[in-house]
Amino acid sequence: MSQTLFYLIEQQANSEKAVTYLRQQTEAFQRNPQVATFYRVFTAMPRFVGKQSIDLPADMNFALKRVRSGFSVTGWTLDRLARVWWLLQLPADDKSFYVNTIGQLFKAGELNELVALYSALPVLAYPDAWLFQATEGIRNNIADVQSAIMINNPFPADYFDEASWNQMILKAFFTDKDVTQIIGLDERKNARLAQTLADYAAERRAAGRSLPANIERLT
Amino acid sequence: MDFMDSIRGMSFFDMHVHMTSRTTDDYQAMADAGVVALIEPAFWLGQPRTGVDSFRDYFASLVGWERFRASQFGIRHYCTIGLNSKEANQEELAEQVMEILPLFIYKEGVVGVGEIGFDDQTAAEDKYYRAQLDLAKEAGLPVQIHTPHRDKKQGTSRSMDIALEHGLEPGMVIVDHNNEETVREVLDRGFWAGFTIYPFTKMGNERMVDIVKQYGPERIMINSAADWGISDPLAVPKTAALMKQRGISDEAIRLVTFTNAVTAFAQSGQLSLEELIQPVGIDQSQRYNGSSILRGGQAPRVDKESTIIK
Repeated sequence: MSQTLFYLIEQQANSEKAVTYLRQQTEAFQRNPQVATFYRVFTAMPRFVGKQSIDLPADMNFALKRVRSGFSVTGWTLDRLARVWWLLQLPADDKSFYVNTIGQLFKAGELNELVALYSALPVLAYPDAWLFQATEGIRNNIADVQSAIMINNPFPADYFDEASWNQMILKAFFTDKDVTQIIGLDERKNARLAQTLADYAAERRAAGRSLPANIERLT
Repeated sequence: MDFMDSIRGMSFFDMHVHMTSRTTDDYQAMADAGVVALIEPAFWLGQPRTGVDSFRDYFASLVGWERFRASQFGIRHYCTIGLNSKEANQEELAEQVMEILPLFIYKEGVVGVGEIGFDDQTAAEDKYYRAQLDLAKEAGLPVQIHTPHRDKKQGTSRSMDIALEHGLEPGMVIVDHNNEETVREVLDRGFWAGFTIYPFTKMGNERMVDIVKQYGPERIMINSAADWGISDPLAVPKTAALMKQRGISDEAIRLVTFTNAVTAFAQSGQLSLEELIQPVGIDQSQRYNGSSILRGGQAPRVDKESTIIK
């Protein structure tokens, strides 16, 4: 995955400077793996690689999905892509070190960092360690942070239990997300969710408010 | 005459205001009065924090939730991050805060290290002020200095002496909360001079008009420093209106209420004039998706006169 993502970064127009910078930082981090360096590179990414939208050729989109089923970088900016790639440079041999190091980034994250972090969940090591964090992303009150975990992200469908899954779908309707972009929407339909959504629809009608799009698909 | 009439169409940058202490009504009023951007310096919350996690969550809210909240009203929210002088006196905690500062000062939209400097002018305050000047220098960030309420003149001189001693260019330092007694030295030494229009304890805006008349608009900028005390988040637009009424030119008003602050803090590389003249609504990273929907960067408007709440 790391190589495929880096190849995609290299393919972006005018990315020579960014690529040189990322190579230098990787070498420096491998030579002297200081956590402070890891954090600085992650945080300061937009200053060095820019924030332009990426071009995603069809063959690359296909290649990414072959490495990690359901994984998509459609609509990403270059800093987001580079941040996710950078997270993959952290050695994963020691679980508690790995989880704690990335956990600190979640704790101190600003909006765009959080988007990158939640986008990265499906490609991080130790998926079980991120389950609670993923539900925190859904509890977040900022639209793009919610979307990073809800929309075009295979992590919830792959790992959430039924209660967490249902909580996410209800929140997605509640916050006007395009639920058709949620991976596993049909596969993970269940009776309890159908009941909750039916109640929600009734509550909306009683208040004289409109129903969210596609809610009938799950009720 | 309503002060809003004379400043219609003007844009303002409040370079020091503590929005975490203010309501959405304040944001709405600021947006209506032409405030398009602001800087929220990290400060003291009115009572001391007792653990480093409180600082971490506060800093994270300045680059997260508060920035997002401002964007709902079409206002760009920047911040400066630092350990304030009062809490520098809790040395054990101060050490821990210094450790997490590098996690925050490189973040997007962090336009400086601040507000830092002196309160009681103790040895601990001196120590952490110096340490943070070094941090700012290393990160290439401007510094926003809080000058003390007591022994102000001496404290202001001393703050500038130390900044120079640590190798900072005066042009990278914004000395805030000036008054008639401090302004000359600050300008003569090449620093930026911030003025806080704050009732009873800092500057009144009639005095501010006289200062602009005497010293001209170069390197001078005004702010509200509105916070949890009796303060006015419309201090910048109101002072602009008063300046206009008392014969100060539109160009001079724009310098002290907008451009000078942009020029000073743009040295961080984290804000630019080009960015500020774009409407905030086109920034797709800051959409609102609560139970109602934000369109075009504006929060849904509540009719305050109506008794009906939908």
